[in-house]
Parts: sequence; C-alpha cells; structure tokens
Amino acid sequence: MCKWCFSHGTNGEKWYMNAKNYSNQLADEMNLKEYLTEQWQNYEQVYIRKVMGFSSKDLGYKLKMPIIGRVLRNKLDNMIHSEKKNRKGIRADGHFGQVIPLEDGKIILSELAAEPIICNYCMCRWQRRGEKEAVCINFGALSEVIEKLPRFIPKDRPVRLDREAAIKQLEENNKKGYIASVWFQPVPYINAICSCENPECGAFTLRNSFDFDIMYKAEYIINLNQDNCQGCRSCVSWCQMGALKYIPSMKRVVVITDKCVGCGVCRHACKNDALSLIPREEFPGYDGKY
Amino acid sequence: MGRKVQTQKLKKPIKEKRTRIRIDYSICGEDGKIDPRDCCKCLKVCDPAVFMLHSALDLKYKDPNDPQRWRINPQWGSLCTRCLKCVEICPEQAITIKW
Repeated sequence: MCKWCFSHGTNGEKWYMNAKNYSNQLADEMNLKEYLTEQWQNYEQVYIRKVMGFSSKDLGYKLKMPIIGRVLRNKLDNMIHSEKKNRKGIRADGHFGQVIPLEDGKIILSELAAEPIICNYCMCRWQRRGEKEAVCINFGALSEVIEKLPRFIPKDRPVRLDREAAIKQLEENNKKGYIASVWFQPVPYINAICSCENPECGAFTLRNSFDFDIMYKAEYIINLNQDNCQGCRSCVSWCQMGALKYIPSMKRVVVITDKCVGCGVCRHACKNDALSLIPREEFPGYDGKY
Repeated sequence: MGRKVQTQKLKKPIKEKRTRIRIDYSICGEDGKIDPRDCCKCLKVCDPAVFMLHSALDLKYKDPNDPQRWRINPQWGSLCTRCLKCVEICPEQAITIKW
C-alpha cells in the first residue's frame, strides 16, 4: 500500500482499483478537457519547459548544484505530485504512474476503464528514439482529446479498441517484454496504460537516473523458486531493469530485489514455473519500498 | 516514500567534468537542410538515450507539425558516456562534444 492508495483507494484497495478514479463524472468535476488538451497539444515540449527560470536541459548537472539543485528537486517533486487546483497541462502537473503486472492491467481494461478506449503512438519512443509504435492505451476523457490530434493516431490500424482488443493488445505488448504501467493524468483521474521500455521511457529515466518518484514500483515483487530454476538464463535478457543475474558457479539465476519493479515480464520467458509474483508487503524488508 | 538512493558521500566531492554536447541548429533544425525527424540517427545510436526530439519552444506554438520547428536536444547530457558514436554517425557533422 503506497501513499496514493491511502488517499485515493477505497478501503484497503490499491489506487488503480478504485472505480471512482476512472469515472466520467470525476472528469467533468475536475474540468479535465482543458487540462488534457493543453497537455497533449504541447506534449513534445513537456521535458524542455523551464522550471524556476531554468531550462530543464542537462537536468542532471543542475540537480547537482549546491543549493539551487535541492530547491529545483523540491519544486519538480511538488510539480509531479501536485493536487492543487491551478495545475497546468502544459507542464503535465500531477502526472505520474505505477508499474502493474499484466493481471492487474487486464482487470483495469475489462472492468474499470471508461469508454472509449483507444490505442495511440508512444511519445517517449518517438521523442527519444525516433520510432513510432502504437502501444499506449488511453481511455475516458483523454481518448476524446487525442483523437483530434492526428500526430498521435496510428495509421495502419483502427484507433478505437473494444475491451477485448485492448486486453489482447496489452498482452501482446507484455509478451514483447514491455513493462505495463498505469497513469494518473492528473491526480486522481486515471486514463492511460503505457507499455514502457527502460532507457526510452521518460519516467524510468527520471526515476532511475535522477531519483524522482514519477514511476512507482508495482505492488508486487518477483519471487524465484530455486528448486525449479534450471539455469537456462532466458529470463535474464527479458529484464529491462537488470534485476536478474545468472551465477555460473551455482548454475542458476538470482534476483536483485532492489532493482525489481515487479512488472512480471520475466514470467513469460520461464518454462519451469520458477518465477512468480508475490505481494510486496509479504516480501521481508520490501514493504513500503516503492 | 521510504526510497532513497544511497549516494557516495565523500568529504571532498570529486569534481566531474561536465560533458558539453552541442548541436548546430543551423545545420540540423530550424534553418538547416535536414529535418531532424527524418534522420534520427543519433537518437538510435545512443545507448543511454541522451537525445530528445522535440518541437522548438521559443517560437510560438501553433502548428506542432511544422517541419521548421523540430529540434534534437541533448536533454540528459549527464547520462552521456562519451562514446562519440553520435559524432561519427551524424551525416552533416552537426554534433560536437567537449569536456
């Protein structure tokens, strides 16, 4: 249970399992159309926008500056987790997410997500690798906004998906090795499931290299059954985070639990049922470490 | 939220030299011959994905698909490993790296 589960979940459930966070009623209440239009019209500029008069180019060096760096970090942290009324879509205030395993993604898409569901180009891959790949699944108020912006719309496939097609799409992405994640946009309205890769994803870069809480680890963690592991190493190449490691002397794989985000992608590679997801709070020492 | 990356605390921090990546926008960008969106070679060759493709900020944002307005920016310069692959691959020699 993370902080956001307590503030935006319902009694003991995770935040993304709360049906209220997906409702059209909430979108109307928060007057989201304006925010989302502004955000997605200027989406390519989010990362280079000025913060406190500093351009966020070479952010890593700026965060290392003695006093300014700390103030800047604080400011950015507040921006990411902002729940204020004067949020600006242009800076994507209050936009952060969490890794989810495929099972949770299926529950979201089959029961919770608001219609219409669409599939559009991933902007992280486009901006950082020049590749357009339609892997993002958006729903609710956001899909109506994106449909009007032609540069996000995939050309070779239908934009709107029904629930079954969306689940199939998510499963396909997950089996390719992409990490599924669910997104607040802005808090507490949930309207996207992304399929991320590690260095390309903007959130993973900010998390891993600059230590911002923009992408939380999943509520689960991987557990390796040592008796079942045959040491075939097929899972090692699947882990985007480098959390699995082959030890030649023991002829098996070990998990570096600090790095594991709990996406469960490695399970697709294992033929011997050695890998399984367990809830994070049951894993000794990792309760509350997101 | 209970997560803190342990950073090495030394008494005297070793001063890292900053990697300065510069892209000549008169070659690749607003006034240049090439549209950065067609080329994207530096984006693909970079392992830590330092570069970022974006529509330019300082011009007024009206048509985000205007080819004159796209730029490549060394956004995460601190992640650069100084392998110089981007300098080699750039067809117009628009990238210079100094440290």
